[in-house]
Amino acid sequence: MSEHIVTAYDAELDLLGRKIAEMGGIAEKMLSDAMDALVDFDADLARQTVAADPRLDHLQREIEQSAIQTIARRQPMAVDLRDIIAAIRISADLERIGDLAKNIAKRAIVVAAEARLPRAIIGLKSMHENAALSLKDVLDAYAQRDVERARAVWLRDAELDALEDSVFRDLLTFMMEDPRNISFCTHLLFCSKNIERIGDHATNIAETVYYLVTGEELPVERPKGRSYSFEQTQPPT
Amino acid sequence: MSPTNGAGANRSAKILVKDLNFFYGDSLALKSVNMSVYANSVTAIIGPSGCGKSTLLRVLNRMYDLYPKQRAVGEVLLDGDNILAPSQDVNLLRARVGMVFQKPTPFPMSIHENIAFGIKLYNKVSKSELDGRVEKALRGAALWNEVKDKLHASGLSLSGGQQQRLCIARTVAIEPEVILFDEPCSALDPISTAKVEELIDELKEKYTIAIVTHSMQQAARVSSYTAFMYLGELLEFDETTKMFTSPDKKQTQDYITGRFG
Repeated sequence: MSEHIVTAYDAELDLLGRKIAEMGGIAEKMLSDAMDALVDFDADLARQTVAADPRLDHLQREIEQSAIQTIARRQPMAVDLRDIIAAIRISADLERIGDLAKNIAKRAIVVAAEARLPRAIIGLKSMHENAALSLKDVLDAYAQRDVERARAVWLRDAELDALEDSVFRDLLTFMMEDPRNISFCTHLLFCSKNIERIGDHATNIAETVYYLVTGEELPVERPKGRSYSFEQTQPPT
Repeated sequence: MSPTNGAGANRSAKILVKDLNFFYGDSLALKSVNMSVYANSVTAIIGPSGCGKSTLLRVLNRMYDLYPKQRAVGEVLLDGDNILAPSQDVNLLRARVGMVFQKPTPFPMSIHENIAFGIKLYNKVSKSELDGRVEKALRGAALWNEVKDKLHASGLSLSGGQQQRLCIARTVAIEPEVILFDEPCSALDPISTAKVEELIDELKEKYTIAIVTHSMQQAARVSSYTAFMYLGELLEFDETTKMFTSPDKKQTQDYITGRFG
């Protein structure tokens, strides 16, 4: 893209992009730290993860404020307008991803105090790998304005939904096996929901990237991978 | 490029420009321009200085006829009739296709006379009917309340924004079908600009409007269709919402985002 006649305008847009990149980096690290803390029963790492969240909130506010300033000052058009709207949307998604990672970390602190049944966490690890890959890919897609990569992330979310489904069934089985697992597994159940939500936010970002580059929206409905487990899992008789 | 270029396929074209070339002496100012101006909507023409947008507007009511050595080749169909044909009555054409200029151009006479002048030129009307039409035109241009108590004051005593609305009233008074605006707000303050834009929005109910503007934001605000011209060519024509969010051509995007011009 060629440069604006007003160079300060380019500088404002560049700064927005850099701040999104910084938010993306923090969100990725928070997610992977939260999961490490959960898997390793590491309460210290979990606390550090919680402490990282305010920086993400702060960056999101900065992005919103400078986006509003740019709209007021430059009356952006076409790709510039899409650029700024995308920054506002993506920063909100990344902020929510940070919150969800923070929630996992908070539960990791509780779980570390009553560590049991490590095999119950295996399913969450696969979910995490899937979500982390989507997050990484979608951030790359944003940085490189890569529509195909964004679309791939958008399609991949169905896999994460299916994984959540199977984790749900596993955890329910562990709880039915031994009621002493219930508290522990309930925490994990919430963690799996958080990871699934992170995947949804990555998907939102993919939709935003697609709009940013093409000016068109992806379809409202995307392929679903969920078969709904609640009805399928029978209580023991 | 087809005259509609995909946009507005369902609307009826009040004006259809076909393969229009325009010459200032030997130099070619418009190159094979094809476009539609749709009935009862506002079409904005944008582009950098010297791109031919004002030239195009001046062809639509044959304003160029006033100057020697200027000629248009091609067809401009107004309701299907070619207005470039030599047989076209130019005065009648200008009564059907009115024009408002960049700078307000009130005649050096009273407010009332400014408007009555044009009406009397085209119609034989009684004094009372004339007064009625003057009032209607001033109301139509959202100026009546400001001038009703001083209709016999000079048109030049009004503020710039009021003068521009007086010129719009003068144009509306002879009940044209099309109104051409050539940068109507470039000499006005923001409040007057807003009033003129509000007026344009109301006028499109009754008239077909084409507006040349240097303000991209104004084009985005007032128009339903936008034509982007560059170096005498019509590069892109589409619905305004499309043009200002995701135009097809790189030059359009560069221009509206302030990357050249």
